[in-house]
Amino acid sequence: MHVLGLELQALGKILLVGLLLGAGLPVLFSAGIRAMAWGTGGEAETHPDGGAAAVPHPLGRVLGVLCFAVVLACVALGITYVVASGFGKTFSFEHVVPTLVDKS
Amino acid sequence: MCPLVQGASVVAVDSATVILVLVVVVALSFDFTNGFHDTANAMATSIATHALPPKVAVALSGVLNLVGAFLSVEVALTVTNAVVHIQDADGTPRAELLGGGGADLLTIVLAGLVGAIVWNLLTWLLGLPSSSSHALFGGLIGSTIAGLGWSGVNWQGDGSKIDGVVGKVIVPAIASPVVAGVVAAVGTWLVYRVVVGVAARYTDRAFRWGQIGSASLVSLAHGTNDAQKTMGVITLALIASGHWTSTTGIPFWVKCVCALAIALGTYLGGWRIIRTLGKGLVQIAPPQGMAAETSSAAVILVSSHLGFALSTTHVTTGSVLGTGVGKPGATVRWRVAGRMVTAWLITIPASAVVGAVMWYIAHGLGGGVLGALVVTALLVAAAGAIYARSRRQPVHAGNVNDEWDAPAEAERTPASMS
Repeated sequence: MHVLGLELQALGKILLVGLLLGAGLPVLFSAGIRAMAWGTGGEAETHPDGGAAAVPHPLGRVLGVLCFAVVLACVALGITYVVASGFGKTFSFEHVVPTLVDKS
Repeated sequence: MCPLVQGASVVAVDSATVILVLVVVVALSFDFTNGFHDTANAMATSIATHALPPKVAVALSGVLNLVGAFLSVEVALTVTNAVVHIQDADGTPRAELLGGGGADLLTIVLAGLVGAIVWNLLTWLLGLPSSSSHALFGGLIGSTIAGLGWSGVNWQGDGSKIDGVVGKVIVPAIASPVVAGVVAAVGTWLVYRVVVGVAARYTDRAFRWGQIGSASLVSLAHGTNDAQKTMGVITLALIASGHWTSTTGIPFWVKCVCALAIALGTYLGGWRIIRTLGKGLVQIAPPQGMAAETSSAAVILVSSHLGFALSTTHVTTGSVLGTGVGKPGATVRWRVAGRMVTAWLITIPASAVVGAVMWYIAHGLGGGVLGALVVTALLVAAAGAIYARSRRQPVHAGNVNDEWDAPAEAERTPASMS
């Protein structure tokens, strides 16, 4: 039973963090796309036939770039993790900002 | 097998060297099948959505697997400990298996590897994604049961941590598709909500880029995780036969050949499996592809960070299913999914049976060079037969994206064969 508890605990964590990263990042990425489309205006957004195309909103581009930057940072973190674990290092989230430490 | 006459022990050591060479070659063959069996995990969705041309996708995945394999500096020497008792906790082979220059242990490993390869090839022929790690574990479990009896298998560990066949293989096998499926379904559902009102032509281009990025991450993680297993097995064989002593490092040439074998396998592309995963399960659109690959990458990396590694194959398949469930109006071919689940259920028993039979054959022939040669010859024969069968309905870069349900194609889809 003890081991089953450990497993359920691990799976719960995987599901939670998986949702945060695995579903959160695509959502952030698509929010970036939407912001960019809003920023670009014109044919990037759907509009009723014959209706006026949307005007560009510079703020949208800023928001879009911001979203993409966060996504890219997370991907960079992911690659760092893969590389680091190959060298026997792992992330510690103790100080909120991820830092590389030796695997225990 | 243990020579009583002193003069015979020289002969036994020499024959162990021959068996060792066979084990290394067969282990590399397994690594190679591991590569092409799992190309689909990373690249099936990118190929299906035309984010990447098929040949480019497999080349990218191959290179990333190569890089990933070289990055795995850490030693995976205790890889067999999760399922069988043929090594001590520090990675050295069990002393009682070292008779005849390690021939006992080498025979178990060889038989197990043959079981794993045969199952990998069969599932490839049927176009079914199944876990290569499970095939390896299954083969080793089978040959260990045959060689050492039921007590040779590490069923549960000692109860203090997650270990053994149940903890490290069966529970993750059931849980990983569910976890990945939920993540991908939620991600897909939300992504479609967020981009409502944005022109499809505009979104698809961006999503294809996102998909390539996340798929690359899956390839890299695959290279670091999977090539290690073969490196561990080969190093174990080298230690058993007295060619290597360190339990904290592996020979550089082992790392090199393993990295090359898995990368070449990946580059070859298991087109039959790519087709099933990319076209057969769900008709994938770029947003779904990105959601699925990101879910896979996140779940694989998080689970290995927690020391509870989930099977890459099961995770990606779960993700692809989840992305079909999460997109409003998408259809999931549950029949195809059912075939896959069936394959997963029988992966371990089936490769175990082959592994066990191979051990009995090798043992029956004296357990020495003759046994090892015959077992290897049987493997070559089986591989040849499976390859010949596959030529009747070839799947390649040119037809991997053909419509799944098109009447003319129905006869040629690998999954419709039995």
